[in-house]
Amino acid sequence: MRQATCHSCGLTTTIRSFYSFQGKTYCEPCVWKASKEAAEKGQPSEYTSLTDNSICARCGAYSGDSKDHAVIGKLPLCATCAPQVVSWPYPQWLKASLAVVLALLLIALSNGRKYFKAGKSLYIGERLVDEKQYAKALPYLEETLKIAPRSDKAVFLAAKAALKIGDVATADKAIQGHNGGYFEDANDSDYLEVKALWDRAIGAADKANKATELAKQGGHDVEAAKLMHDAASAYPEAEGLSEAATQLDAGAAFERKDYDAFLELEQKQWKQYPESGTAAAVASAFACKYAITGNAEFRKQAEDMLKQAEERAKADPKQMENFREYEERIRYRLQSREIIDKPEYDRRFRQGQAAGK
Amino acid sequence: MFFIPGPIIAALSFPGVIIHETGHLFFCKLFKLQVYDVCFFQFGNPAGYVVHEETENFTALFFVSLGPFFVNTTLCVIFCSAAFLPVWELKVTDPLAYFFYWLGLSIGMHAFPSTADLSNLWDKAPTLAKKGNPLAIISLPFAALLYVLNLARVVWADLGYGIAVGILGPLALFRALAR
Repeated sequence: MRQATCHSCGLTTTIRSFYSFQGKTYCEPCVWKASKEAAEKGQPSEYTSLTDNSICARCGAYSGDSKDHAVIGKLPLCATCAPQVVSWPYPQWLKASLAVVLALLLIALSNGRKYFKAGKSLYIGERLVDEKQYAKALPYLEETLKIAPRSDKAVFLAAKAALKIGDVATADKAIQGHNGGYFEDANDSDYLEVKALWDRAIGAADKANKATELAKQGGHDVEAAKLMHDAASAYPEAEGLSEAATQLDAGAAFERKDYDAFLELEQKQWKQYPESGTAAAVASAFACKYAITGNAEFRKQAEDMLKQAEERAKADPKQMENFREYEERIRYRLQSREIIDKPEYDRRFRQGQAAGK
Repeated sequence: MFFIPGPIIAALSFPGVIIHETGHLFFCKLFKLQVYDVCFFQFGNPAGYVVHEETENFTALFFVSLGPFFVNTTLCVIFCSAAFLPVWELKVTDPLAYFFYWLGLSIGMHAFPSTADLSNLWDKAPTLAKKGNPLAIISLPFAALLYVLNLARVVWADLGYGIAVGILGPLALFRALAR
């Protein structure tokens, strides 16, 4: 190692222990003193440490007395350190780790496609619920629930959307799919909103069920219609309840022999829901009018509606079965001009069958 | 607030330290600065470092100092995005998703540049900002904010930043995609 001598005190030791100040070499205590004196005189006081170019600044390797290490930038560096300092390599383990992480990221992105799809459906569903487009939102939210049945957010949104369009069954399915209907935070505002909707829907469903039971017993159509109207006004989102209430109103009109009102209500139903059942009900009302008045025009209209009802029932065996049962009674009414209800018809002609309306 | 020793935090979030130092190294190499020593991770303070030559090139200084902040933030958003939906929104138990959330948060919480990095920037930026250097102008509020956040590490500002970026970043991303 190379040596130097302090200009001030004469100390001789390795160059790396010395400093350069105003072109002269000083040891550490002397350079402090000289720098302080210069500062007091208003002269420049900066000093720099001396480097020994025979010592590698990075690893300390000694090049020998006769030759120096190459100075790169401001520092002497040995042949081993110089290339590394100029272009520090990325370690192999770092490259390997990066490759592994990238591979895992690709796996995660591939594995996560179903989550992205479910998440996208969730956000679209959420936006549509915010915009009160519940019917449009529900299919998106059901799509999300296929992947994430335990997501509180998806369940609450799906249940809300379903309940807002009167689809209690889908809401029930969404809620039951979440730990059998258990939610940790019973004070969550979304939970409370869905619970309020749910309670209202279930209350209405109870009334609707009672109304249906009464209607089945026969002779209680007025009471049944009132209960169904209560259910429909408690849960107006369920259009089916209001439809059922109208149907029971029609039944009540039949019961009190108000065949004009019966016809009017059944025609309203038929206009709103042009199906086999509503067509047959209009035929039934025309048959009543024919039985009372003997006007052949009513009979013709009843026959026409029966044809329409049959046409619409063809695709569905169950509907066809219902139609055949109803048709038999309507045709009896047209032939006999006698108006009897289903229990009476069953009693007379279908012995052994369960009585019903 | 509770105290957890730095080495334990560093050990639990070591990928973030490695990525941060790799960011420094990457920008040193990009701007052809000499690198004298690199420690990607150690159980000590600092948990990692890159010793490089000083430069008068402010662009190089800006990217070497703040580059890891942008790199770590970007990687945090990417890795957390791979995990955000199953973990946060869909409540799906997927180990790979949890692994990526840990990785993303680890990277995010080591985004802040060290005070030494910021000091270099802070020393040179005002003079250059007066001369209209756009990077110097940008770096002043950045450096000031990051300096404060760096001091707030004692109250978990670094973890808070990681969580904020790891949740809000993907949330904004996916909501935008769902439009």
